Amino acid sequence: MMENAWLIPIFPLVTFLVLLLSGGRLRERGAYIGIICTLASFILSLLVLMERFKEPTYKITIDWLSIGGTQLKAGFEINQLNALMLVIVSLVSLLVQLYSKGYMKGEERFSTFYAYLGFFTFAMLGLVMAPNLLQLYFFWELVGVGSFLLIGFYYYKQEAKNAAKKAFIMTRIGDVGLLVGIILLFWGTGSFEYGEIFQAVQSGVISNEGLTLIAILIFIGAVGKSGQFPLHSWLPDAMEGPTPVSALIHAATMVAAGVYLVATMFPLFLASSAAMQVVAITGGFTAIFAASIALVQKDVKRVLAYSTVSQLGFMMLALGTAGYVAGVFHLMTHAFFKALLFLAAGSVIHAIHTQDIEKMGGLWGKLNWTGPLFLTGTLAISGFPLLSGFFSKDEILMAAWENGNYLLFALAVITSFLTAFYMFRLFFMIFTGESRSQVKQVKESPSIMLLPMLVLAFLAVISGYVQTPWFGTFLGEWLMEGNETLLGGNSHSEGPVWIMVMAVLVSLAGIFLAYMIYAKKKLPRSWLVQENNEFYRVLDNKYYIDEIYHFTVGYAIKGLSLFLSYIERFIVGGVVSTVTISIEGLGKIGSKLQTGQVQRYGMIAFLGLAVLLVIFAVTGGYLR
Amino acid sequence: MDWNTMLSYNWGAMMPEFIILGTAMILSILDLFWPKHFNRRKLAWLALTGIILACLSLISLLSFESVSILSDTFRLDSFAKAFKLLLLFGAGLIILLAESYEPQEGLHEHRGEFYYLFLTALLGAMIMSSSGDLITLFVGLELLSLSSYILVGIRKHDLKSNEASMKYVINGGISTAITLFGMSYLYGVTGSVNLAEMSRTMAALTDGQLQYIMGLAFFMVFVGLSFKIAAAPFHMWAPDVYEGAPTPVVAFLSVISKIAGFVIILRIFLSLFQTASGDVFGALDFLEKNNIYIASLAGLTIIIGNVIALRQQNLKRLFAYSSIAHAGYLLVAVATLGGGYFLMDTVWYYLLAYVLMNIGVFAVIQLLSSQSGSDDISILAGLGKKSPYLAIAFTVFILSLAGIPGTTGFIGKLNIFLGTFITEPGHFVLAGIMIAGTIVSYVYYFGLLVQVFFRPFHSDKVIKIRSGLYTVLIICVIGTIIFGVAPNLAFDFIHDQFGDFTDFISSK
Repeated sequence: MMENAWLIPIFPLVTFLVLLLSGGRLRERGAYIGIICTLASFILSLLVLMERFKEPTYKITIDWLSIGGTQLKAGFEINQLNALMLVIVSLVSLLVQLYSKGYMKGEERFSTFYAYLGFFTFAMLGLVMAPNLLQLYFFWELVGVGSFLLIGFYYYKQEAKNAAKKAFIMTRIGDVGLLVGIILLFWGTGSFEYGEIFQAVQSGVISNEGLTLIAILIFIGAVGKSGQFPLHSWLPDAMEGPTPVSALIHAATMVAAGVYLVATMFPLFLASSAAMQVVAITGGFTAIFAASIALVQKDVKRVLAYSTVSQLGFMMLALGTAGYVAGVFHLMTHAFFKALLFLAAGSVIHAIHTQDIEKMGGLWGKLNWTGPLFLTGTLAISGFPLLSGFFSKDEILMAAWENGNYLLFALAVITSFLTAFYMFRLFFMIFTGESRSQVKQVKESPSIMLLPMLVLAFLAVISGYVQTPWFGTFLGEWLMEGNETLLGGNSHSEGPVWIMVMAVLVSLAGIFLAYMIYAKKKLPRSWLVQENNEFYRVLDNKYYIDEIYHFTVGYAIKGLSLFLSYIERFIVGGVVSTVTISIEGLGKIGSKLQTGQVQRYGMIAFLGLAVLLVIFAVTGGYLR
Repeated sequence: MDWNTMLSYNWGAMMPEFIILGTAMILSILDLFWPKHFNRRKLAWLALTGIILACLSLISLLSFESVSILSDTFRLDSFAKAFKLLLLFGAGLIILLAESYEPQEGLHEHRGEFYYLFLTALLGAMIMSSSGDLITLFVGLELLSLSSYILVGIRKHDLKSNEASMKYVINGGISTAITLFGMSYLYGVTGSVNLAEMSRTMAALTDGQLQYIMGLAFFMVFVGLSFKIAAAPFHMWAPDVYEGAPTPVVAFLSVISKIAGFVIILRIFLSLFQTASGDVFGALDFLEKNNIYIASLAGLTIIIGNVIALRQQNLKRLFAYSSIAHAGYLLVAVATLGGGYFLMDTVWYYLLAYVLMNIGVFAVIQLLSSQSGSDDISILAGLGKKSPYLAIAFTVFILSLAGIPGTTGFIGKLNIFLGTFITEPGHFVLAGIMIAGTIVSYVYYFGLLVQVFFRPFHSDKVIKIRSGLYTVLIICVIGTIIFGVAPNLAFDFIHDQFGDFTDFISSK
């Protein structure tokens, strides 16, 4: 089955092509094509994963191009990590497409939406399967394009247009880092292939400083894609896209690509402790930073977006503290519960047509399915015992503790308290208390939207049991199998029992506090901070990061571009117009020579011959 | 030569040529005797069958050792096989184009001749790629030339077609005279017309005085043959002839005739001038020492082709200049052929790319111009709205011609470009000219795409595509993309089948 894995990304590509060419005629029936193709991808991915449990890594490449002595290769590889990613991506994509059939109903560009989804899924699956950095980079960019198209899907809305542009530009900044990193790596090791690179790295071809530089450059790529500080600000804005897109791209797949990149290049990072420090600190800081912003946001999707940034920070923290398994594990569980939360939020938005949580409330009894589903997701992300998020977060805390980085450990603990608090703030604001909505008749979403959420909720509950302190560490052992030397060989992080107890207490405390403030209203909402307090305003304005960028980078670039535009206009422009004018002049002279007089043609040929012969004779054939 | 020696030859080696010859004869007899009202369009299928059969027989010959028959005048070596394959492939596509050709003022009275003249021209080109002797080389060249003179003027009542034919004949005559003059010097130096023998004699010549004679021969042959490939300084006929000739003939001239031109240039240069020493010490061979001349002509050709193309409003003229520019790129590869044959695959690949993209473009032009009766650029306007698939196909060809990644044109150009750095010393100026020329070419290529996608269309006529033309389009699009995405398909094929073209001279 693994040799046929190349079909997995082909199916969504077929969706894209078919819908692009004949979407107009198919209209909403286009959804079936998308769903069936993605289902095929998913089934194939599942089969591949099953087979990968038993068999070793499968890799096939063909020589794509040979330049001089260098062979550029193309192909695909199925290892543990990407077999897992294939299933996650195709599953979430499938569920999102099912959901969208209900959510996007009546949308004029319905089939275009599915075409874009197909394109994105193709790019993401291709990214995951790439056996070398060059191919990865290719799909990495395609993923960026897919995300751009989907964020800007409502292109007639100014915000959506700006958000799409912002997402594209900010991730591009990261991509440049990645590209430079890849080029340096190729320069140093002479290869794009993962295996060859790791071998070269271990044999010490590249100096230590060089390795640190390359690893950090590659990490910058991951920072851009995964919305880590300081390139995070595009992700909340990207919520302008349709909600299913947020669930697919900005929760489960594309933003996870950065984490995937670091995980794939993990041996490279392991070789440089400084780079690991950078990853861990960036991750830890992003986690608490984004969580603090999420405390005060009033748009349901933005809360979830900052929560995503924060959770991605968690994963980076795990990877940076050598917790390879912890990072990948959290990547998986997060994909499920965050996609669930987004879809559930979409279902709420679908019902009452607003994203402002101040205008919600009291929906628990009215949305009989969405309510419990949302609660499941909220519990999972808060680290409520025995749900998936609990196990994966525990694994991360253990990894940070084991690594001996107590400051980061403390950050992570505080972040999990904040996470529980803001998530339940969200839950209580939406589902309890008085209804503050304009919409009187609240209708539950159709079953085509509920079904994907049920599947995700199921996974959000049980997917943690593949790696627990009690029932064995199946996932970790499998991921490490055969890679012990490359990945550091730590299939499970051990730590004192009080860490787990404390993690539970912290998240329960967060839930309790949220309950007291937002549900019971025993404590006033100003109990923590006043709404007009300085600190509150800083949080509300997301630490003014956008403004800072606007005033520093924005103005600096504007100034620079003003300066350059003068150079462009007068110096470059002058040169260019000289060149164009002279080329046009040449063209004019050339076509003047073309008189249509046949004797002239012959004459020119003779003249040419004569000139050649004269030069040859004069130089004696020693022209060199 | 008696009957027994005749029989002892391995005639199987000439099978493809016999098939083409036979088909041409059958076609001419049928054309002569069949009643007037019989639609001769169907003869195209017979011609196509002949080409396919010839192609199949050539494929069955691929595994043969290289042989030479008829006292070494006819050789079937890997060079011949490789280029004959290209010629037959291109000719097959062009016959399909010709089948679909429907000019506004009819052609039916000469349609029969149209097909078998294609075949005789093809036969000439095939003989050229297989000949081991100056005489057969020249005969092949003339067979090709004479047939194409008539083909250019086949629309007897069309003034432009007549003018084009006239110009072609006169210029062709001049070029032939120059070539022949050059060849006679070669004969004078070596006392033989057999390439293998000549090559041995030339290798032994070390007299410094002969350098001038050889130089004379070299330049005359090169300038004379630059007529066939439409390169400077013998390029000026191309726009006028292309403009007047029927579109399938233009496709023929720009593809088959050009391949044949490169075949004869490579044959003569590699077997004669590469073995001759370039100075008294024998340190450099003649070709290596004088490749600066080829390089400068290549640069000149690229500049002329691209710069003048900017000003063209007539599609056929525009592509005439574009084909001049491409001849320039190919000459770059010839100039950097240097000490070995290692760039032979580059030339072959580029010609393959050129067959695919250029025939594709001419298929679209033929379709549009025979419907509107004009060759102006504006006939492309609005194609994107009117017929999106056709527009996509056209875009693929244009992108390939412009050398955009993902197409065969890109890989071909890339290989030629990299080749300029491999030789010692590198041809950096030439590489620069190639890049500059390519950039200039974007202006007129993308200008065409602007017409296709951003200009409103004038006529609402539904575009009807005949099945033959449809097939051509599909083959060309698929080929352009596949060999662009997976170029190693073609390169592996060349290396497996033809190795490094080492049997070029060695045998006998």
